[in-house]
Amino acid sequence: MLKKTAALAAAAIIAVSAGTASAARDYINIVGSSTVYPFATVVAEQFGKTTHFKTPKIESTGSGGGMKLFCAGVGVEHPDITNASRRIKKSEFDKCQGNGVTDILEVKIGYDGIVLANSKKSSPMKLSRKDIFLALAKDIPDPSGAEKLIPNPHQTWHDVNPALPNIKIEVLGPPPTSGTRDAFVELVMEGGGKKIGWIKAMKKKDKKAYKRICHTVREDGAYIEAGENDNLIVQKLNANPNAIGIFGFSFLDQNSDVIQGSIVDGVEPTFEAIADGQYPVSRPLYFYAKKAHIGMVPGLSEYLNEFSSEKAWGEEGYLTDRGMIPMPDSERKQMRNDVKTLRNLEM
Amino acid sequence: MESIMDIEGATLADNISMTLEQQAMASDQEAIKKKTIVSREDRRTVGEIYTEDPRMTCRNVNVHYGDNHAIIDANIDIGRNEVLAMIGPSGCGKSTFLRCLNRMNDTVEGCRVTGEITLDGQDIHGKNIDVVPLRAQIGMVFQKPNPFPKSIFDNVAYGPKIHGLASNKSDLEEIVETSLQKAGLWEEVKDRLNLPGTGLSGGQQQRLCIARAIAVSPEVILMDEPCSALDPIATARIEELIAELRKQYSIVIVTHSMQQAARVSGRTAYFHLGDLIEVGETERVFTNPRHQLTEDYITGRFG
Amino acid sequence: MQKNNSVIGQERIQKKLKQRYRAEKRFRRLGLFAVITALSFLAILLISISSKGYTAFQQTYIKLEIPLSHEILDVKNLANADYPGLVKASLRQMFPDVKGRRDKRKLYGLVSTGAAFELQDRIIEDPTLIGEKISMWVPASSDVDMFMKGQIPKNVSENERRIKDNEIEWIDWLQQEERIEKRFNTVFFTAGDSRDPELSGIRGALSGSIFTLFITLLLSFPIGAATAVYLEEFAPKNKWTDLIEVNINNLAAVPSIVFGLLGLAVFINFFGLPRSVPLVGGLVLTLMTLPTIIIAGRAALKAVPPSIREAALGVGASPMQTVLHHVLPLAMPGMLTGTIIGMAQALGETAPLLMIGMVAFIVDVPGSFTDPSTVLPVQIFLWADSPERGFMERTSAAIMVLLVFLITMNAVAIFLRKRFERRW
Repeated sequence: MLKKTAALAAAAIIAVSAGTASAARDYINIVGSSTVYPFATVVAEQFGKTTHFKTPKIESTGSGGGMKLFCAGVGVEHPDITNASRRIKKSEFDKCQGNGVTDILEVKIGYDGIVLANSKKSSPMKLSRKDIFLALAKDIPDPSGAEKLIPNPHQTWHDVNPALPNIKIEVLGPPPTSGTRDAFVELVMEGGGKKIGWIKAMKKKDKKAYKRICHTVREDGAYIEAGENDNLIVQKLNANPNAIGIFGFSFLDQNSDVIQGSIVDGVEPTFEAIADGQYPVSRPLYFYAKKAHIGMVPGLSEYLNEFSSEKAWGEEGYLTDRGMIPMPDSERKQMRNDVKTLRNLEM
Repeated sequence: MESIMDIEGATLADNISMTLEQQAMASDQEAIKKKTIVSREDRRTVGEIYTEDPRMTCRNVNVHYGDNHAIIDANIDIGRNEVLAMIGPSGCGKSTFLRCLNRMNDTVEGCRVTGEITLDGQDIHGKNIDVVPLRAQIGMVFQKPNPFPKSIFDNVAYGPKIHGLASNKSDLEEIVETSLQKAGLWEEVKDRLNLPGTGLSGGQQQRLCIARAIAVSPEVILMDEPCSALDPIATARIEELIAELRKQYSIVIVTHSMQQAARVSGRTAYFHLGDLIEVGETERVFTNPRHQLTEDYITGRFG
Repeated sequence: MQKNNSVIGQERIQKKLKQRYRAEKRFRRLGLFAVITALSFLAILLISISSKGYTAFQQTYIKLEIPLSHEILDVKNLANADYPGLVKASLRQMFPDVKGRRDKRKLYGLVSTGAAFELQDRIIEDPTLIGEKISMWVPASSDVDMFMKGQIPKNVSENERRIKDNEIEWIDWLQQEERIEKRFNTVFFTAGDSRDPELSGIRGALSGSIFTLFITLLLSFPIGAATAVYLEEFAPKNKWTDLIEVNINNLAAVPSIVFGLLGLAVFINFFGLPRSVPLVGGLVLTLMTLPTIIIAGRAALKAVPPSIREAALGVGASPMQTVLHHVLPLAMPGMLTGTIIGMAQALGETAPLLMIGMVAFIVDVPGSFTDPSTVLPVQIFLWADSPERGFMERTSAAIMVLLVFLITMNAVAIFLRKRFERRW
């Protein structure tokens, strides 16, 4: 008897919810990059608490995963906004167009620095991107000067560059699925590889081989994939003063009492240095919104307003408290204008 | 065939064309006259298979378990108000045969029963026969006492409840009381009907199972070694009970104990490796077996 | 000669006896050792979690005096008034000596951004307060909270701690004035997620877990029990049922993320159910727990002695009556055990929920099966991954809540099992 009632109730619930599923959605649905997630969530919460709209729902799916969901189509079952720690790709844009997502608003929100850091118990490292490349690439150029690759023989930082201390190379970093890793190999490793003449020359001749050399991280234990959890990396650095960790600037900012940023190419990773572009390893952050959903989903244009307001992304805005590096004034003005006029993204 | 010829000679050979019944009777009479014993190799049933006014009849019953031919061409009647004992060595098929009588073998995977079994002239495998009420008509008591894990009252009341035998609560209580009385258990349990049946002693449990079978007013009660798990005193109680129950029911009892068969039954059937070897009045079978195998068994040469 | 033999035999037995006893002792010690090891690991886990997490059940509050002037608060437009400004003004009033942008920013940072929201709620609830000067306790910011709980050490150099010297001075003054104190953290149990540790709570995830598991239990137990009963008691034994059995056993070993993919394809993409809702989560977890429940259910049914079935059939019960009246009640404790194992698995699962969008930042506490929500383990994962230090204790506290939930669930199951359990 009980079972029958239970089964009936279940059937009823499914029927009811299937009915409501196609009805309107009263909250904003956001997907995308895990790098933008800590910033977008703050805006969403602020938005939810200061307006009568519901708090947007934000899923951390990664930039690529977010694009896939975003570009699947127009309608309440699809997300309204996707966050990205890189610009939309042409292929993704085309897919969007193909699925009817024709009018897209692109908003650049600020910058994120990628930092290398170690425990405060040891002295700060002074590295160049070339040092990092030579320490972490799987294959490196023959030190004798010949234009060929040998498996990375370096065991200590001293091996890489005599100016560096004689400690074992131990780098804790994100796995290949992470956007931070993408940015790291692109900005740091490739930036270091380019410093070597013949490798730079290869870029024009054989782009694939060039990428393979620059983007392949060694797998013999010197680079330790520490998972996506940056807090864990911070804890491990604290336990092992010789190790160096790779993560987003916001983690350095929040944990500045236990870890210190390594100086890269002579620049310390400070808020100011990243903001004015001196620090070489930073990347722009974006979000993309579906114009067709404005008016369809309550609060969407208000959310766009909140995100692009000075109190959010301005120099003194609450996003900077979370470690996001704001854009220069002119760029912010430009972007704010884009949001107001809902400028269409074209590629 | 040759061996039969050797022993019984031309008489049997002449009778080959007779009906089965005639044949059997003829061979019986011959056997009595000659006081011969049928040889081990002959597996046809000897003795008094038939009774007047039978309650159940079994004709050419064969049971297969997959490839195993467990019962071979068994023919036997079960009379009214009689106790029929089935004896035989382990694995001879006596329990299997018993379970055919209320179609308990239906539940066994891969078991196939052929032949005709009737209850009051009705084929129990007939299309219009429902196995559920059939099992109420032919009750069963098992080797190991298996009361339900419920109260004593519920154990007895369960059958009448599902068959709708009682129209109200007092009816049901009456059925439970009479059933327990018939099973000789009432005096011992009347004050604790709400206690679990599993809390009784082994002998009491078995009598509870008998009461449970009686409660649905069966015509025949099948007992599959009902005393094998009981001590001698409990066994004696059950045997007394069987003698009492015979007045109302036909009882078929499978037993390992020849003494028990001798004590409780009116007729005895001896099974050997799937063959029904000999049937007859209990006293006659034990004192004057006609088949060599029966004699071997009752004299303790095997079994 | 014979006697000799038996003497030798006895001696050998004696000798062997000692060996046998030694082996027995070794075996017992090994068992004891294993149990003690397991228990000590459990103890270490519990101690480390609760020692890190218990502080999250307290929260630091600061008492503010806030004048509510008519100039700032327009009764007709209360929603858009500058509440943060009121809070900041109140702080400035308390510390009139603080000058300079940087220091002022630090001063404002003493209280949580949630203070303004609380003020807003209070005024909207009772607009008659406008014109008066109210005093209210507002949550301190996470850094101050950490400092008050002693998690930021005082005796290290200034640039190595997030609370600077002047901030410590302010806090000391507040303490003298009894304007700062630690209280029981009710917010943690009443709020949803937040990016500010001091404003975040477990209630959203807890409700999400309850809704999701309710759906899972509602579907998986009847379906699982019915499947087990059918396969064990009624289905003919042939190629097809063998195939089904093998498949069910294999499904139990399938990585849970696969069920997430299946749920994404079937429930969201095909049936068009919304993403991130407990309904879909429950459906996916049902798929995941079904094999466990079916396998446990079948084992429980197999363990019911056949004599009970025979007894029931013997008095003329139909096969269904036999199962429902006799076999199922006896198998119920075992089935419940299987169900509770399945539910415990479902409670701790995050991987399949990732695919259907339940790994998300959701502030509003879900109120129904179709509100977007997350679940406890996802909340733990999200907090563990947050850069703010204050989330560390919340993470441990959330694990404690999850464990309490699990223990409660098990206790209910044990209670039910005890009620069903019968001897035979």
